[in-house]
Amino acid sequence: MINEFLKNIKQSRSYKKQIAHIEELPAHNASFGELEKPLPENLQNVLLNRKINLYSHQAQAINEARRGKNIVINTPTASGKTLAFNIPVLETLTNCDKATALYLYPTKALSNDQLKVLKDLEKECQIKVNANIYDGDTPQYQRASIRENSRIVLTNPYGLHQYLPHHNLWRNFLSTLRFIVIDEAHVYRGVFGSNVAMVIRRLLRICNYYHANPQIILSSATIANPEEHAKKLTGKNFTIVSKDGSPRGKKSFIFWNPPFTDSTNTLRRSTHQETKDLMTLNVLQNLQTLCFTTSRQMAELITRWTKEQLVTKSKPTNIVTAYRAGYLPQERRDIENKLKNKKLIGVISTNALELGIDIGSLDSVIISGYPGTIVSTWQQAGRAGRSNSDSLVTLVAFQNPLDQYFMKHPLDFFGRPHEQAIIDLHNRYISLGHIMCAASELPVTEDDKQFFPERLVESIQALEREKIVSNTPRGWVYSGTARTTKIVSLENITTKTVTVFCNGNLLETLTLNKAYEEAHVGAVLLHQGETYICESLDLDHLTAKVKQENVHYYTEALKSVDVAINKIYEENAVGTKIGLGELSITEIYHTYLTKTPDALIKKTPLNLPPLSFSTVGLWFMVPAKVKEDIEGQGLDFDGGLHAVEHGMIALSPIFAMCDRWDIGGLSTSLHLNTGEATIFIYDGFEGGIGISETLYSKIRLLWEKTLELVETCECKEGCPSCIYSPKCGNENEPLDKKAACSILKALLKMHISDNNNTATTVAGR
Amino acid sequence: MLCSDPVKIPGDESGDKENSVLFRVAEGLRERIEQSKEYTVVSEKDSEPQKLPVFESWMWSSEYDEALKFEKQLLKQYQGKTFEEALPEGKVISNKQGNCYEISTTCFSTFRNTTCEKSRQILLSDLKVLPGIGLVTEQILKNEGYPTVEDLTRHPRWTKQAQTYLKLVNTKKVDLLQTWLWQRLPKSHPLLHYLAGFCQNQDFAIIDIETLGLSERPIILLGIAKPTKNNSLSTKQFLLQDIPDEPSALWALLSQINPQLALITYNGKSFDVPYIKQRLAYYGINASIDNPNFDVLHFTRRALKPKLANCRLETVEKYLGIKRDINIPGALVPHFYDTYLRTKNVGPLIPIVEHNRQDLLTLATLFSKLYEEWQFDK
Repeated sequence: MINEFLKNIKQSRSYKKQIAHIEELPAHNASFGELEKPLPENLQNVLLNRKINLYSHQAQAINEARRGKNIVINTPTASGKTLAFNIPVLETLTNCDKATALYLYPTKALSNDQLKVLKDLEKECQIKVNANIYDGDTPQYQRASIRENSRIVLTNPYGLHQYLPHHNLWRNFLSTLRFIVIDEAHVYRGVFGSNVAMVIRRLLRICNYYHANPQIILSSATIANPEEHAKKLTGKNFTIVSKDGSPRGKKSFIFWNPPFTDSTNTLRRSTHQETKDLMTLNVLQNLQTLCFTTSRQMAELITRWTKEQLVTKSKPTNIVTAYRAGYLPQERRDIENKLKNKKLIGVISTNALELGIDIGSLDSVIISGYPGTIVSTWQQAGRAGRSNSDSLVTLVAFQNPLDQYFMKHPLDFFGRPHEQAIIDLHNRYISLGHIMCAASELPVTEDDKQFFPERLVESIQALEREKIVSNTPRGWVYSGTARTTKIVSLENITTKTVTVFCNGNLLETLTLNKAYEEAHVGAVLLHQGETYICESLDLDHLTAKVKQENVHYYTEALKSVDVAINKIYEENAVGTKIGLGELSITEIYHTYLTKTPDALIKKTPLNLPPLSFSTVGLWFMVPAKVKEDIEGQGLDFDGGLHAVEHGMIALSPIFAMCDRWDIGGLSTSLHLNTGEATIFIYDGFEGGIGISETLYSKIRLLWEKTLELVETCECKEGCPSCIYSPKCGNENEPLDKKAACSILKALLKMHISDNNNTATTVAGR
Repeated sequence: MLCSDPVKIPGDESGDKENSVLFRVAEGLRERIEQSKEYTVVSEKDSEPQKLPVFESWMWSSEYDEALKFEKQLLKQYQGKTFEEALPEGKVISNKQGNCYEISTTCFSTFRNTTCEKSRQILLSDLKVLPGIGLVTEQILKNEGYPTVEDLTRHPRWTKQAQTYLKLVNTKKVDLLQTWLWQRLPKSHPLLHYLAGFCQNQDFAIIDIETLGLSERPIILLGIAKPTKNNSLSTKQFLLQDIPDEPSALWALLSQINPQLALITYNGKSFDVPYIKQRLAYYGINASIDNPNFDVLHFTRRALKPKLANCRLETVEKYLGIKRDINIPGALVPHFYDTYLRTKNVGPLIPIVEHNRQDLLTLATLFSKLYEEWQFDK
């Protein structure tokens, strides 16, 4: 079916050689495994009734878990990971009628999805587990009963963080805790992951207090460093299960580059329009298709346009829908079910469907724009592919340099290693907050070094110095006047949520930042492919009112970002001036554009108060002399600055143990505070998170490595391996690779000629 | 964009970079703790009563300003004074968990309880206490000539349930009866108040705690009051001279509460008792409080809510005609204690101790007066 579909495309009159590459990923057969000892009868029956023959990786996972090992299951999407960890857990719960297990999911939607799976298994196993969700949505009156009666509790890290201080209410559950299951563990990376790693240590510390020593099972998407990541996330050693035994049909991975629309070959057709056409073709061929977009708005627009095209082909439109965060839980569940029972042929989604919500496997996946990481791309691609039939994945490129690079170098993409999931256990901004939380759960003593090995005593003494904890004969006791779990948030972001009403009915919710983009007065808000016009946005009460109106245009809000230096913590004039301090990052949404798919209709000014947050960042200046030299060589100085900023941010994760999405940057040829060309690199979190401090102390090394990266990169004018950023707000424009090298060389030269002070700057840990 | 000139922060000259980062982060946490308030200050001018926050604690802005002025005055007045000078009714006591400061007083009180006979009569007068009987069935049964549960023991359909309940009432076991009634009636039901008639005056303990916040922070003062024979209340308050005293103060309170006692609290079922349990678990002290609990907040809501703007104890006091000599809003107790911890000036402790003692006395009065609000006593 897929082959024929491809042939049809290539032969059609509208085909303009968009296919830049086809990678055939061969089919492979199932390989099965044996259990070392038989399962209890009830579980054997489950497998028999479901006609399940365990794949090799499932058998391996179960065998290892039954030996008491902590395991991390690292196989692709839809390989049966869930069953592999549910079996050993249910076996233990069958054999010991007091045993309990805690399941951790990154989102409430996933908990809901998995609860169904567990309830079915529970029924078939004929044991009493009372699996239940305990999170922010759990009604107060059910809570005590779940704590006392449920033997499997599903929650998320945010909830766990809040519940830990009240561990006495969980005494029975925790005393008999045998398993902690952490699903989708690759999500816990960067600053968020480092916070979750601390929450898990706090959990294990409390388990230890109740004499429980639970086994840990992790399941994760394919990442470069599963073993290291699992160890950092939990502090335990793991056995890895990664050899996939599930069968796969052949998969064709297509790189699709929108065609040029002019004779000079500069402008390509809109990625969204191409996506819409592909989506329509897929649906007309009756291929069940999931399309991933990079924004909520595009998910909605492509849905709308696809429906319009289906109408012209006299096809029903209710076989296609959009899916994204912000929909009400019931709407989302409805879509998931309709996908599973094939009532929906096409769904256009944001990455909300990237995580493991069970929607079955599909014939085809369209990825509209490179999602930013190799891990995400493969996760999305993994949604296509049934065990016994062929499947199709189409990556539609944007015109930005990053996407275009992959179109030109497809083999680079397929040979590229998956990203590492980085967790930083040394970050004081994160660890100190959680040590404070721990002190509100149980007095902290030196014995707790087993859970917090990193400078525990110095940390707790710093808290004591600020009178946040008191030193008592029983250990350090939290004695602040605020709730610790309110002071420490796992994402280090305080998000305000705006609620959208239509005719007095709740339509959806969105974060304040999103509301600035999509729910300002005059904005076209899209919901399930319908257009709504926003009539008011009340920032005091965080509500927006919209009315439904069928329009054929959409809107796009434009913002500018400003950085101001508030306080200087440290300064250094080694060669050029570099500084570390508190910055204010201000985003001003100044204008919105009204557009149709082909044209800009008008620009309207916006009158919204600026959004700003303060954080910690570093900056350095590039002297005017360097600028003159570079411009003298006919190079683009601004492009050089921008490229240096990107290159440094690309390398920062290795130095600061963070995710590149945790860092922001700005380069400007003239900054008000410094009076010179300046590059800023800052923590993307309110109050700072310690990344910039680390980078500041290693700035010379960072310049050196950045120069090495850019200079030795084989590309001509920049590529994703060096200066292209997947999160650039300016579409990676302007960038000048040669100018970047010149700037970095100049900085290093100035630094060497004045390196008396280097000892203090390079001192790191 | 305009911005002011950056301020330069002098670096920590100690030389230890690692520690200076730790100090900076700890300072940031301290700032966030100070900014995080668990109460709202409401201006009297522009707020109508119905707009007052429902779920958080709040105070009038005049109360707030006055309290801060008062704090300054106290710091001046008690400069250099010792604990014993400032709180002369108290002394340091020690027990197996350590030391704390015990303050004992005896005060005149009008504590009054209902009688055992009356309790029994009222507990049997409501048929809805039996599972399966609602408002309608009760009316029918009463019309049919079964006005009390005792009569129902002769009814062909309800004999068994009525006998079970009657037997329970005759045992006068308050804890079992309370559990039974909680399952059948709202927690504010007057029957649950009349249940107290099965207790003698010396069986009551009025409890109130002061803490550093609404949850999971140290309890800084535990107060208990017991009615004595000659129209008086004897109060004991266990105060922390510093945070390490907390286990000892908890222990001192527990030593005052034997399993036969019935507690009288204001929101104690959701706040004071679970809070004490959480702190016991925090220190790994193997003890608990599972006594029957007459939570007067529930009764107050039912009886007085239509008459009062809200059910804050201060508001209830006005209704009862009780005046306080010195007082600070309860929500400011953490702030006052924090000031004490940081300055070691005992001044801010004075109103905390007084506030807590007054709460105990008011509770005793309220418990007694509420009987007058129920239809049975009219």
